[in-house]
Amino acid sequence: MALDFSLTDEQKQLQQLARRFAREQVAPRAAEYDQNEQVPWELVEQLYEIGLLNISVPEEAGGLGLGLVEEVIIGEELGWADMGFYTIPMASELGITPILIAGTEEQKRRFLGPLTERPSLAAFALSEPGNGSDAAALRTRIVREGDEYVITGTKMWISNAKEADFNVVFATFDPALRHKGVIAIVVENDREGVSFNKIHGKMGQRAAPTYEIIYDDVRVPVENRLGEEGAGFKIAMLTLDKTRIPVAAGSVGVARRALDESAKYALEREAFGRPIADFQAIQFKLAEMKMGLETARIYTYYAAWLADRNDPEHISASAIAKAYASEMAFYAANEAIQIHGGYGYVNDFPVEKLLRDVKLNQIYEGTNEIQRIIIARNILKALK
Amino acid sequence: MKYVAIIRQVPDGESKIKTDGGRVNLEGATLILDQMDEYAVEEIIRLKEANGGEAVVVAFGPERTEEAMRTALAMGADRGVLVTAEGYVDPVTQAGALAKVLAEEAPDVVFTGGQQADWDSQALGPAVAEALGWPSITWTTAFELGDGHAKATHDLDEGAEVVRVVLPAVFTTQQGLNEPRYPTLPGIMKAKKKEIKKIAAAELGVSGSKVEIVEQEIMELERKQKIIDGTKDPAAAAAELVKLLHEEAKVL
Ligand SMILES: Cc1cc2nc3c(=O)[nH]c(=O)nc-3n(C[C@H](O)[C@H](O)[C@H](O)COP(=O)(O)OP(=O)(O)OC[C@H]3O[C@@H](n4cnc5c(N)ncnc54)[C@H](O)[C@@H]3O)c2cc1C
Ligand SMILES: Cc1cc2nc3c(=O)[nH]c(=O)nc-3n(C[C@H](O)[C@H](O)[C@H](O)COP(=O)(O)OP(=O)(O)OC[C@H]3O[C@@H](n4cnc5c(N)ncnc54)[C@H](O)[C@@H]3O)c2cc1C
Repeated sequence: MALDFSLTDEQKQLQQLARRFAREQVAPRAAEYDQNEQVPWELVEQLYEIGLLNISVPEEAGGLGLGLVEEVIIGEELGWADMGFYTIPMASELGITPILIAGTEEQKRRFLGPLTERPSLAAFALSEPGNGSDAAALRTRIVREGDEYVITGTKMWISNAKEADFNVVFATFDPALRHKGVIAIVVENDREGVSFNKIHGKMGQRAAPTYEIIYDDVRVPVENRLGEEGAGFKIAMLTLDKTRIPVAAGSVGVARRALDESAKYALEREAFGRPIADFQAIQFKLAEMKMGLETARIYTYYAAWLADRNDPEHISASAIAKAYASEMAFYAANEAIQIHGGYGYVNDFPVEKLLRDVKLNQIYEGTNEIQRIIIARNILKALK
Repeated sequence: MKYVAIIRQVPDGESKIKTDGGRVNLEGATLILDQMDEYAVEEIIRLKEANGGEAVVVAFGPERTEEAMRTALAMGADRGVLVTAEGYVDPVTQAGALAKVLAEEAPDVVFTGGQQADWDSQALGPAVAEALGWPSITWTTAFELGDGHAKATHDLDEGAEVVRVVLPAVFTTQQGLNEPRYPTLPGIMKAKKKEIKKIAAAELGVSGSKVEIVEQEIMELERKQKIIDGTKDPAAAAAELVKLLHEEAKVL
């Protein structure tokens, strides 16, 4: 009897709030932010006002201390309205999570407390120009000098980097040690020697800001280090094991939007004297979209539930959820364009943006090839 | 000071409503706090924030009304009183029960929606006022609390009038009164612990309804898709368009 798929009353209210906010505030402005490559800061402020920003900050640091199930509820709704916008709060949780995992109580209060006091963001700086999937090959150098570390190097593709209060930076004190030589450290953006270049021309998710960060002899106190020297790579992986679940949730939202728009359009559009919804070829597309959407959603909730219970099974489950949901959402967005015919190909309708946006969900927080490596490793590990 | 908002739970305007054997079937519809009542909830929260006191939400409706009440509590109201009764009950009968709750609560100011979205009635506010013998100001677009009285702007078809009214009094809302806030996530979590007192309508001596709904039907909107050929005589086509917009569509 223990199996129970229901949300609590508060989770239902949270869903209703997120859905309403997404529908009334986010969706109507999504196309404009996308076209202008503009950060929707006023939406970030509103998200803060209604309490949906940085929800995982623990109660001791002044936050709500909520888990991944709540994040997934929000992620689906915001992803439905604008995946590009959702990446902003999602990447902030990505910056918060290493501190939750490896931070001391003092560090949680010092770094996360301020995130609850005003609209503000965190960021996570792992990828570099020369390496993404092979994160242990990172080259950003960190050298200890007395009570300080000195950081030099370039980070690439970092979401929220400049808007954030701080980036959790992964740097190596000895590249020959590969993953054993990595330090995770919180680097505030107002430190001397930090500069940003915004990356322009993204295919989708153009509302979400992405940066190259240059650290030029940046001095950071030792108290900013998370965990031990050499624990940084592990912290990064433990983080991604959790935070790729919201990527799945955003994908579910995109797929739901693709289906909503497609079903509506199919009933309205006529060809050969009847609504195209009468054609089985269209009906089968809708049915496939629905099958992908429902299975991805329930599996995403499952992965979030495992992660919230700290069940080690979440490592494989989060990889499955992320890869599966982002692929079925890409498929759904593609079919939505097809159902819209010529109109699907232009930005007067919202469906072409769904495809452009959700492509990224197959790439960031570990490409879907890397997810398959994680899934396979867990299958084989169990047998060895 | 005590401020009360009378609220209702109604189907979301975006939901598709079905009828089943001549009756509206709400199964699967999203039910929300009536948007006209949101102005009422916002107003009592503002009054409380500005002047202190207590903001109380009161409702008459089925058990599920508790969900809408939690939304009002998540916006910032302090507690709720829910008179429970299943099925349709006419506004005058509802007002009889609500008046008993209000007589006991003894608020200074009562707000409720100018119109109830589900039964499309505008009667609840005035009927409550009538049952209590309190003054009633409908379609309020501005409100200012004084000492033992209030100043309110009341919308008229072709303008507005400003009235001064002795309290306690009942006010019904109109768009423009305020900009209702969203509930917040911390508010949702706090609302869980706020009190909702439930009283069965029968306990207040109220049963049945003076009006019974015999049958309901849904209006079918038909698209006329009238296309006027503007290629031959554009001036005449424009005149025809204006005429249709004025006489048929009645939007001009
Ligand atoms: C808009 C955007 C936002 C981002 N935000 C962040 C952020 O906030 N923080 C951050 O740290 N990073 C961020 N990233 C970086 C992102 O995580 C990386 O792009 C991603 O991990 C892939 O790395 P890469 O681009 O270097 O591709 P590569 O690692 O060069 O991979 C290229 C291709 O090779 C495949 N491949 C690589 N290794 C293997 C293998 N062993 N087996 C099979 N196939 C393999 C990959 O799957 C991919 O298809 C962001 C990226 C983008 C585009
Ligand atoms: C950039 C661009 C350039 C173009 N250039 C030209 C051009 O130079 N000249 C020109 O004449 N046209 C041109 N077109 C129009 C193009 O050929 C049409 O968009 C295409 O034929 C589809 O028609 P539609 O958009 O009206 O979609 P619809 O006909 O409305 O189709 C909508 C969906 O219903 C499906 N469908 C329709 N009927 C059936 C059925 N019986 N059974 C199963 N499925 C069905 C379709 O496959 C599609 O998925 C262009 C379109 C674009 C976007």
